[in-house]
Amino acid sequence: MNAVMSSPSVEVERTASSGGTWFLQALTGVLLVILLGVHMVANHFIVAGGLRTYADVVAYLKNAFVFGWEIVFLAAVTWHALLGARTIVFDFGLGPQVERRVNVALTVIGVLTFAYGVWLSVRIVL
Amino acid sequence: MMSVQDRPARRDPLQWFNLRGRRGAGLWAFVAMRLSGIGLVVYLYLHLVILRQLAEGPAAWDQFVALAKSPAFLLLDVLLIAGILVHGLNGLRLTLISFGVGVAQQKTLLAGVVALTVVLTALSFYAIFFLKG
Repeated sequence: MNAVMSSPSVEVERTASSGGTWFLQALTGVLLVILLGVHMVANHFIVAGGLRTYADVVAYLKNAFVFGWEIVFLAAVTWHALLGARTIVFDFGLGPQVERRVNVALTVIGVLTFAYGVWLSVRIVL
Repeated sequence: MMSVQDRPARRDPLQWFNLRGRRGAGLWAFVAMRLSGIGLVVYLYLHLVILRQLAEGPAAWDQFVALAKSPAFLLLDVLLIAGILVHGLNGLRLTLISFGVGVAQQKTLLAGVVALTVVLTALSFYAIFFLKG
């Protein structure tokens, strides 16, 4: 995806991300439309009052397919969010050394975010 | 004829709102994408805090549900839905254009994004505030 098309008549947003990361950003973005769409419908739109009761949430998450779906959703949203944050931070035009540190910091934050979300989900179900 | 850009352009966030010499819907789409993205990243962590209430047990969850049904919180829900719609729909538009789909119709696509966002946000507002059942 390095061959970015750009001309005055074509407005395509490509900022400080390489082709590979941009592709993953687009891929997780499209995935999120489906993952988030199902999450919103199942957890909010079809639920009276917009929020499930405690017992309902636990019963819902105990379904292995639903649990797996929510974990994949967590992984995709964490990836997409932090890669997006990286793009904005890199827009400041930082030097290569600072960019490497930002990459490390965001990777650690991402892993911790995902791990915390999984831990919370497991704790809810058990 | 489109040219190939090897090094993606940077847009310093401090210059996002500097409109001098720049205009057009694309600029606003860019700013909306960035702002909604920042808001959604913040919401991701807020959602983990909410999930924490759930992990604490029924009492903590019921306390959160009571708070979540306050008008101010419901208004934030509408704002969240608007942010998701702006970011999601415009993201799909950008992905399509980047793969060479709908390049000639990008202004129409952007108009569609704006129209869908406004209509679906208005419907969400109505559903959240008037169809509470």
